[in-house]
Amino acid sequence: MQTLGLMAFVCAAALLPAADYPAAVATVMKSNCAGCHSGAKAQAGLDLSTSERALQGGKTGPAFKPGSAEGSLLVAKIVAGSMPPGRKLPPEQIAAIRKWIDDEKPTRAGVTEADVVPLFQMRCVTCHGKRVQEGGLDLRTQASRLKGGKSGPGLVPGKPEESLILKRIQAGEMPPPKKLFEAFVRPPSSDEVETLKAWITAGAPPAPVVPPVEDTFTETERSWWSFQAPVRPAVPVLGRYGTAVRNPIDSFVLAKLEAKGLGYAAEAGRLALMRRAYLDLTGLLPTVAQVRAYEADTRADAYERLVDELLGSAAYAERWARIWLDSAGYADSEGIIHEDRLRPQAWRYRDAVVRAMERDEPYDRFLTAQIAGDEVADFRKNRAPAQADIDLVASTGFLRIVPDGTYSPANGSVAERMNVIADEIEVIGSTVLGLTVGCARCHNHKYDPIRQRDYYRLSAILQASYDPYDWVKPTERNLDFALAEERAAAEKHNAPIDAEIKKLEKLLEAQPKEDEKAKPEVDRLTRAIADQKAKLKPKPEIRALYDMGGEPSPVFLLKRGEAQQLGERLDPQVPAVLHGAGLQAYKPQPPYEGTSGRRLAFARWLTQPQHPLTARVMVNRLWKHHFGRGIVETVSNFGKTGSLPSHPELLDWLATEFVQQGWSLKKMHRLMMTSTAYRQAAIASAEAQAADPENRLLSRMPLRRMDAEQLHDSMLLATGRLSRERFGPAVPVETRPGGEVVEKASKDQWRRAIYLLQRRTTPVTMLEAFDLPPMSPNCSERPHSTVSTQALEMRNSPVVTEHARYLAGRLLDEYGNDTARMVEDTYLRTLSRRPSAEETARAVQAVERLEREWRQHLEEQKATAPHAITARWHAVGDFVHAMLSSAEFIYVD
Amino acid sequence: MSIERTTRRGFFGRMMDGVQGAALASLALADAARASSGTYDLSPKKPHFDGKAKAVIHLFMNGGPSQVDLFDPKPALVKHAGSAPSRDIVNQIEFADQIGVMMPSPFGFKRYGKCGMEMTELMPHLGTVVDEIAFIRSMYGEHFNHEPSLYLMHSGRTLPGRPSLGAWVTYGLGSVNQNLPAYVVLDDPKGLPINLTQNWQSGWLPPIFQGTRFRSEGLPLLNLKPPEELPSPLVEAQRDLLRSLDEAHRARRPGVGELDARIASYELAARMQMAATDALDLSKESDATREMYGLNEEATQSYGRRCLMARRLVERGVRFVQIFIEGQIWDNHSDLEKSLKYSCAKTDRPIAALIRDLKQRGLLDSTLLLWGGEFGRMPISQIRAGGTAGRDHGPGGFTTWMAGGGVKGGVVHGATDEIGHKAVQDRVSVHDFHATMLHCLGLRFRDLAFTRHSLQERLTDQYPARVVNEILV
Repeated sequence: MQTLGLMAFVCAAALLPAADYPAAVATVMKSNCAGCHSGAKAQAGLDLSTSERALQGGKTGPAFKPGSAEGSLLVAKIVAGSMPPGRKLPPEQIAAIRKWIDDEKPTRAGVTEADVVPLFQMRCVTCHGKRVQEGGLDLRTQASRLKGGKSGPGLVPGKPEESLILKRIQAGEMPPPKKLFEAFVRPPSSDEVETLKAWITAGAPPAPVVPPVEDTFTETERSWWSFQAPVRPAVPVLGRYGTAVRNPIDSFVLAKLEAKGLGYAAEAGRLALMRRAYLDLTGLLPTVAQVRAYEADTRADAYERLVDELLGSAAYAERWARIWLDSAGYADSEGIIHEDRLRPQAWRYRDAVVRAMERDEPYDRFLTAQIAGDEVADFRKNRAPAQADIDLVASTGFLRIVPDGTYSPANGSVAERMNVIADEIEVIGSTVLGLTVGCARCHNHKYDPIRQRDYYRLSAILQASYDPYDWVKPTERNLDFALAEERAAAEKHNAPIDAEIKKLEKLLEAQPKEDEKAKPEVDRLTRAIADQKAKLKPKPEIRALYDMGGEPSPVFLLKRGEAQQLGERLDPQVPAVLHGAGLQAYKPQPPYEGTSGRRLAFARWLTQPQHPLTARVMVNRLWKHHFGRGIVETVSNFGKTGSLPSHPELLDWLATEFVQQGWSLKKMHRLMMTSTAYRQAAIASAEAQAADPENRLLSRMPLRRMDAEQLHDSMLLATGRLSRERFGPAVPVETRPGGEVVEKASKDQWRRAIYLLQRRTTPVTMLEAFDLPPMSPNCSERPHSTVSTQALEMRNSPVVTEHARYLAGRLLDEYGNDTARMVEDTYLRTLSRRPSAEETARAVQAVERLEREWRQHLEEQKATAPHAITARWHAVGDFVHAMLSSAEFIYVD
Repeated sequence: MSIERTTRRGFFGRMMDGVQGAALASLALADAARASSGTYDLSPKKPHFDGKAKAVIHLFMNGGPSQVDLFDPKPALVKHAGSAPSRDIVNQIEFADQIGVMMPSPFGFKRYGKCGMEMTELMPHLGTVVDEIAFIRSMYGEHFNHEPSLYLMHSGRTLPGRPSLGAWVTYGLGSVNQNLPAYVVLDDPKGLPINLTQNWQSGWLPPIFQGTRFRSEGLPLLNLKPPEELPSPLVEAQRDLLRSLDEAHRARRPGVGELDARIASYELAARMQMAATDALDLSKESDATREMYGLNEEATQSYGRRCLMARRLVERGVRFVQIFIEGQIWDNHSDLEKSLKYSCAKTDRPIAALIRDLKQRGLLDSTLLLWGGEFGRMPISQIRAGGTAGRDHGPGGFTTWMAGGGVKGGVVHGATDEIGHKAVQDRVSVHDFHATMLHCLGLRFRDLAFTRHSLQERLTDQYPARVVNEILV
C-alpha cells in the first residue's frame, strides 16, 4: 500500500503549551462546560478545559472556528439552548465567547499536516492527483508535494515565500479561475490559506501519531439477537392442530396460535386461492383459459402443480424482479437536478435481474453479482462476452441506481459525491444487512452497536470504485461491454448516419461566419445534424460499478459527516460488532490484476452460510410479500429500534432452510405457498379478531390490495391489451394535455409496468396514485394508502375508459346480444370466478339501464354514429369499467 | 375555525380520507395520537399547544430574490462600487467564471408604513401593508444551487425524498374540511418550478399528506371529472352499478375497515368535484375584490388569481396552500434591472391585496404567510455574455418575511454584513424558519415526529433549531 504523507507515522513535533482562555471566557467555560467536557472521560470526546483542546475538538469536530463565532459549533449549541443541558447562558456570557472567537481568532499552536490535508483533498487533487497530474504535480503525499512538478518543488518547509503551492494560491492562480466551474472546485477560504502558510512556516510538520483506536462493545451489544448466527430449531410437536400441518411452517405458526387457543381460519375457496397465487407469484390475474383449466383440474395436487407452473413462468421473474428493484431503488433517471437526466442504459440492470430471477439464481451468487459482479471474473479480457457474462457485470447496477446529480458542475462537490456513496450504503444497509448503518455517518449509531468508524469503513469498501476525490461523472461511468451482434448491429445502423453527420458538419463549417445571409442555411444544417444525431442508436454500454484500478484515495472518518472535517484514516472493513460471530474475516484480495477485490470480499463475507443477517433478511422479505407482514415487521431494520420477530424460531428455521436449499428463492416460495398457513381464507373469526387483532400470529390471511403494478398489469391483462414482450429499453411515457402521465403504447402494445420508463420526475399517474414510491434512495416497504385520488383515477382517467371500451368492443364482437355471456366472461377476466345467477341478473339489468341512458344521451347530442350500436358499446364499456374499479377486482382475498 | 377534535356526528357528516384499514370509528376518535398506530387520516388533530395560526399560505419566490435590491438596503455598496470581491465571496459562487464587481442596487429605497420600513421602490403596494410584516434579514442557506436549496427550503435537507413543509403540517394537524385536500398547491400555468412535483411530496410520510395540485385554469384537479360531460341520470346509473358491486363485496367481508375507507374515498371523490370547483370559482368574488388583486391587469392577473384562490381555500379550512410562480422569475443572473421590475410588477399588488383581504375578513390573525425564495443573491455583479449585469446566487445571507398568524408586524430581525453578503447578526437558518412556522401553528418542532426505520424523523431533522421568538406576538 502506498504510504501517504499523512500516514507517515513519525514522531509529532511537541505541541506548544496550550493557549488559555481570556479571563471572562475562562470563568464561563469552567463553571458551565468543563464539568462534563474535561479529562479522560470527556463527553463526546470533547475537552473544553483549555482553548487548545477545545480547538482540537471532539467527535463532532472543533468546538470553534477561529475568527467566526457564527461558524462555531460551541456558539451554535449555546445559542440553540442545547448546551449546557437544561440551562441557558446569559447573553453577556455568550457575547464574551463570541467576542473572543471573532476578535482574538485563537488559533492552535501546532499546525500539522492534518490541518492542511482537507485543503489539498478538496481543492487540488482533482487535477493534481491520481488520474490527472497537471504540470507533473501530485499533491496527495508529502513526498510528492516536496518533489513538485515541472515548475519545481511544491513547497519548501519553513519558507512560505519560496513555496510554489502557497504562492500560486495566494496569487489567485490556483485553483485556476477558468476551471473552477467545470471541475467543481472553489478556491480555499482565507482561513485555509492562513493555515497553509502557518504550516509551511512551522516547517510543514507531519500529523501527530494517533494510535489506532478500536471500538469496543459490551456483552449486551454483542449478544443482540440478529447478530447471532441462526441455529436451526427443532420443529414443534403439536396437539390438536397437528392435522393442519403440511410443512414445518405450519408447526411453528400453529404452535403460537395454539398457545392462544386459536387455530387457522378455514381454507380459502379454491378459485380465491388460485387468484392469490397468481397475483403473488406473477403479479398478474389468471386469464380466462387459466381459470377454466384450473377449475377442470381435479387432481389432488392441482394446487401444488399450479404453484410449480407459476414459478416456471416468465411472469414470475418479472414480478419478483420488480420487488428486488424496489430494494435497489431502481430508476431510469439521475434525479437530484431539475433536468432529471435519463439513464439510457439502466434497463440492462433491470433485465439482468429478471433473467436471474427466471433461472432462480441462488441468492448467494445473485448477491455477489449485485455487489461485485465486475470482480468475479476479469471481464476486460473477455472479448466475446455471452449474455451471462454481461449480466454478471451489469448486476452491479444495484450500486448505480441511487439519485446522482454529480454530472452537473453545480452539484458535483466532494460533499455531494459523498451523498451518492451514503445512499449506496443505505441501500446495502436496508436491503442486505437489515441495519440502519446510515445513522452512523455523522456520529456513532444511537441505538445499535454501529460506530461511526464502521460507516467509513463500509464507505472504504466502495472507495476503490466510488472515489469522491477522484470522481467519474455518472454519465461517463459506463462500460463498453456488449454482445458482439448487438455492437455490430449498432455500428451497422450508425455507420451511414455518422457519415451523413460528417458530411453535414463539413457543409456547416464551410458556411461564411457571421454572415446574415447564410443564417437560414446554417440553421437548416444545424437542425439536420440534430435530426441525424437523434437517429443514432446508443452504444450498447452498461451502467455498472467497477473498480477504478490503482490505489484509491484514503478514507477519513468525517466528523459530523462533513466533507471538510477529516478525522482518522480508515481501511475497508465490515461492521466491527460482527467480527468473529463465527464468520470468516473480511480480507480483500485482488481476484485479478487491476481490481482491489474490496467489494468481492464483502460479498463473500455476506454470503457465508452462517451469516447472521443475510439469509434472515432475505427470507423475511419473501415472507412479507406472501403473508403481508414480515416475521420481523421492520424488514429493513433488524436492529434495536426495529421490531422483534413475531416467530423467531420460524425465522431461523427458514433462514437455515434457505441456505440448505442452496439459497433457492423458488424453493422458498414453494415452501411458503404450499403451507396451510398460506391457504387460509382472508376472513377473521370473532375469536381471532379478539385474540389476534393485528394478525401477528397469522390466524388468517390478510385481505390485500393490489399494488400499483399488479393493478396496472392486471387491468391490461383483463381487457386483453397486455403485450407479453419482454426485456429491452424502457417504454417512454408522455404527459397528456390534462396532465396525466401515461406510457406511450406503440401499436397498441401495452407492456407490463416493470418495462415502463421510471423517470423520477414523471411517474406514471396510475402507478403513482396507487403508491408507487419515489425512490429515495430505495424503498423497503411501500406505503399503502386509500385516498380519493385513486377513485378519481379509476373512475375518470381517460386511460381506464379506453381500456374498458376496448374490451367492450371485443365482447360485443364475440357475444353480440348475449349480455349474460358477456357478464360471465367479464367476471372470469376480472374476478377470476363465475358470477352467481343473481349477480348475472343484476349486471344484465345494469347494462340495459346504461344502454337506455346512453341512447337518450346520444340522441340529445345528435351524435352522428349509429346511436343503438354506440349506446350498447358504451353501456358494456361502463360495465367493464365498473368491474375494473370495483373493490373485488383490486382486493385480493 | 377550530382544529379541536370535531364531534362524531359532524365528522361523519363530512367523511374522510383514510388509510391502512382505517375504520371510520377509530378515525373519529383520533386526536393527537400521531404516528402511534400506523393508521393515518386527515381528521383534525390537536396541536401541541394553542398556536395562533390555523393555516399557512406559502408564497414561494422561485429563483432567489435579491435582498440587496429589495429589502436589505446597503449604502456601503455604493462606496465599494466597482471593487473586486474578496476571496471569501469568490469561494461561494456558482458561476465562478462570470465573477463581476461590487454592484449597488440600481433601484432606490423608500420608507413605508408607520414603522418606516426601508424597502425597494419597486413594491409600493407591499409598502402599504408593511406594518403587518416581519422581515428576517439574516436568513442563510447551505448550497448555492437551486435544486438542493429548494429541497432544503421545502423539506429541511438539501436532498430529495423528504416530506415537504405542507406534508408535515397536515400530518400534524389534519384538516377541518374533508371535502377538499388538506394541502393544496397552486402552481403557475406557465410551468412547474424547479424540482417539479417533488416540492410538495410527502416523502416517506403516507401519501395522504402529499400536496394536491390545483390548477388555476381549467379543471382544478387531474381527473376530477370524467373525460366527457354526461347527464346526471347516466352518471347515476354508472355510480349505482359500482356501489352495488362494492356493497355486496363488503357485505361478504364484515369487519374489514379498509373496505369502509375505500367506499368513503369514492364518495369523497364525488363530493370533491363540487367543493373544488366552487372553491376556485372566482366569478363569485366582487368586482372590487377582483380589482384589488389585480385580476383586470395583464401583469398581475395570473398571480392575482392564485392569491385570491389561496384566500378562498384558507377560508374553507384548507390547512396549507403553496403558491408557485412561473419558472425562475427571481433568478436574475443577467439583466437585473429589467427582470427585477418584471417580477415585482407581477407579484406586488396581488400579495398586498392578499394581506389586506385576509385582514379585513378577520383571517390574518389565523393565517400565517411565508414569503421567500430558496436563497438570495450576491452583492457583486455577474457578467454573462449577451446581457447586462445580473447577480449570482447568494445563500450566505438573504431576506424572507412572515406575516399574520401570530407574527409581529412592522419589524426587522437580524442583519447581514456591510455589503449584504452574509448574515451576521441573529442568524436564522432554514431550520429555524421551519421551527418558527411550526410554532405559529402550535406545533413543537422537536415533538412533531414520524417513525421511519424505527427512528424519529423531524422536519428539522437533527439540526439545532430555534424558534425566532423575536418576531412573534
